[in-house]
Amino acid sequence: MLLERRMAEKVIDLALEKGADFAEVYAERRVSMTLSLEDGKLEKSSSGLDLGASVRAIKDRSTSFVSTDSLEEEPLLEAARLAGEGAADGGGRAHALGGGKVADKHFIEVSPASVAAAAKVELLSAADGAARAVGTEIVQAMIGYNDTCSEVMVASSEGCFVTEERTRVRLVARIVAVREGLMQTGYDSVGAHKGMELFQERDPAAVGETAAKKARTMLDSRPAPSGKMTVVLHRGFGGVLFHEACGHGLEADAVEKGASVFADKTGEKVASELVTLVDDGSIAGEWGSNAIDDEGVPTGRNVLIEAGFLRGYMYDRLRARNAGVESTGNGRRQSFRHPPIPRMTNTFILDGESSVSEVFASTDSGFFAKTLSGGQVDPATGDFVFGVSEGYMIEAGRVTYPLRGATLIGNGPAVLKNVDMVADDFEMNIGVCGKDGQGVPAGSGQPTLRILDLTVGGTEV
Amino acid sequence: MLDIAKKALEYASGRGVEQAEAYVSRSRSTSIKIYQRKVDELLSNSGSGAGIRVIAGGSAGYAYTSDLSDEGLARAAAEARDNAAVTAPDEFTGLPSPATEFARMNLYNDKLQQTPLGEKIELAKSVEAAALEYDQRVAQVEQAAYSESQAEVAIANTLGFARSYRETSCYAFTMAIALQNGEMQTGVSFTTGREPGQLDGRACGSEAAARAVSLLGAAQSESMTCPVVMDPFVTAGLIGVIGLALTGESVQKQRSLFAGLEGRQVAGTGFTLVDDGIHPEGLASAPFDGEGVPTQQTPLIKNGALQGYLYDTYSARKDGCASTGNGIRGSYSAIPHVGPTNLRVQGGKGSQDEIIASVEKGFFVSEVSGIHSGANAVSGDFSVGAAGHLIESGRLTVPVREVTIAGDILSMLKAIEAVGDDCRWIPFGGSIHAPTVLVGKMTVSGR
Repeated sequence: MLLERRMAEKVIDLALEKGADFAEVYAERRVSMTLSLEDGKLEKSSSGLDLGASVRAIKDRSTSFVSTDSLEEEPLLEAARLAGEGAADGGGRAHALGGGKVADKHFIEVSPASVAAAAKVELLSAADGAARAVGTEIVQAMIGYNDTCSEVMVASSEGCFVTEERTRVRLVARIVAVREGLMQTGYDSVGAHKGMELFQERDPAAVGETAAKKARTMLDSRPAPSGKMTVVLHRGFGGVLFHEACGHGLEADAVEKGASVFADKTGEKVASELVTLVDDGSIAGEWGSNAIDDEGVPTGRNVLIEAGFLRGYMYDRLRARNAGVESTGNGRRQSFRHPPIPRMTNTFILDGESSVSEVFASTDSGFFAKTLSGGQVDPATGDFVFGVSEGYMIEAGRVTYPLRGATLIGNGPAVLKNVDMVADDFEMNIGVCGKDGQGVPAGSGQPTLRILDLTVGGTEV
Repeated sequence: MLDIAKKALEYASGRGVEQAEAYVSRSRSTSIKIYQRKVDELLSNSGSGAGIRVIAGGSAGYAYTSDLSDEGLARAAAEARDNAAVTAPDEFTGLPSPATEFARMNLYNDKLQQTPLGEKIELAKSVEAAALEYDQRVAQVEQAAYSESQAEVAIANTLGFARSYRETSCYAFTMAIALQNGEMQTGVSFTTGREPGQLDGRACGSEAAARAVSLLGAAQSESMTCPVVMDPFVTAGLIGVIGLALTGESVQKQRSLFAGLEGRQVAGTGFTLVDDGIHPEGLASAPFDGEGVPTQQTPLIKNGALQGYLYDTYSARKDGCASTGNGIRGSYSAIPHVGPTNLRVQGGKGSQDEIIASVEKGFFVSEVSGIHSGANAVSGDFSVGAAGHLIESGRLTVPVREVTIAGDILSMLKAIEAVGDDCRWIPFGGSIHAPTVLVGKMTVSGR
């Protein structure tokens, strides 16, 4: 335990003293290593330690939060006192803390801490070599590697006293290809809540090669068209569309303020019956998974949309308390310096019954979005965009030529209703989701599927 | 702070280390969120840490720690040495020689700390109130926030550099939601300063409300190619992307759309862009960069012609020139990189209204989304979500949403036909001082 039970109790008691009705201490110790390779050589290597805690006191709906980068008694008690003063009047009482449970779900075979930096460098070199072997058009390969091992501990006035160790590794490749003055990029990545064994399962060379092939393919691209099209979203990466299009609108902070197009729609049909959307932070080894969320609540499988009907939202403790429901284990924070807010974990669309070949064959004319570069949504209006870094034209049921410079734009509720085919080739992908200035690892996934009447924003009218 | 930096240097020196540098920072920040006239969230963070760089055998290695005890610093120094051992040696690697002249700026304002918390809460409340009072269709304010920070940065290196500075900054931000016949529209605004007295909370609230209300009834327009007038918010988004491609590093590494264009015309003749690290109002200003190099004003584009690029010490040595003071270190834990400080577009002629009035038929864009995914600083491809109004006979008419504006960045810059005199600081995606601009031709995708 990062904090002794007696210390945690003292902090919570002090934070409650001025009348808060809930108090919590979150402690974290995080060690991390980052390597970056560019121009064919290992350019930057860094590693480090972040250690600290935050105390949160809640009175009614008002939160007071104070962080300190120390686990020593004096600064912790000072943080507790300040947090308690920020949530004054009334009177709260703490339950005795629980048994000091160790949440354990992710078995790490090879801890990054046990592997020499030189061995990690070889992973980057493998990705670089494979990328450059793709062709003479490849002029630059930027390979990044990061591992993070953290220990988190949560204790609260509701009796929660739990800890978890978390290990994540990630490798990304950004490739630049040039031909006759046209410069294009390709991207690929792997990551998991796992140790170095990830790279036995997923060859780093394949990451470099995949990204390089994308960049090279895009050299043959034509400028993307403009206007409404039938869009086929590739498995895996396509899941980020649903992350933006409806995931954020199903997070309870937007919902409780009525600042979501999905507020007050539980039980209503909000999507095509082909759409079942799930958030599951409990899948072993998955990038967005943890055994507990950052408020000590066990993660789980939450069905958000079932065969088109809205079933529920994603809650943290505070929003669950406000709504009179249980937390769904979606309270997440970037670090001890950030307050928890409702966040997605791994969010995905389940397999449908069409085959991939059927999806393409039945598309007379359309746009195939194979790789997406991320997006953004306004949860209040449901309007979202996302960039397509690898797109293709579909003509007479066949993928024909690559297209560059397209962004897809649409409205979440409208797009959900326009999903008319879902294939059976499910895949997950990884990313970092940003919200309120906090970045957290988030997975998204889906099978190949088709959306009618989505606006493709290219340059050719 | 400097003492800690010097102590870290001692731990980092010796044992085959040729040069060492320590960057130590300490910050305190507070933020207040208001919802329905009450404090929704009161946040207070304090933290400090050290980042150590060593150069051994011609290779650089970094390490950081939030533990400033002797033991913590010693461990970080040892890690930095270990990390240097796996980095490729490079003839251009090295620390800058200490400079002696630095711009004098007032980055620290006592009033930030002296202002009672209650007044800051009232300021945040005034933001919400102004938004709600602006128009009865403003249904609520999803977020009205005040945020402040005070920081101290100290850098010391084994070449004899040892300096520190303090700074304060604060801002208010809000997002208002307008509601009409079941349709919601949102608008954001912000105000920045060095102390809360410099913030205009009510103007911030009113602007967010005005932006939300103006979009009520918006619908998708037809796809078209037309002149586009960009609000300063939108111009800033474009400038932020350009800034990434205007570094010497991105040119050296063949990932800049500006490579090989030095001295050439890359933008309309009315367009001038400067990286200004010493502007007193710029929140990215500092006397020296993350390597201890004095900051400066660096011309990037002058009257449309590309003047040069931004450099840190490493990339400057590679090109045989001097660092422009753009070695950016976001925090003690970040690896330094080359990047812009404050990007300032030089104001031109005419107000936003006058520029709009000069357009017979076009699109006024008041907000964009998806910049980070839809704009590519390497290839120059640019396609982002947009909302605003159609311009007909020089006047704003129908509100528009759910469209994209697209082009390639160089063509867009070259098509800049007018630059407004309404420059303002935009803190999104960097610190950018941007005006309204008119781009002669872009593709709008909709129906």
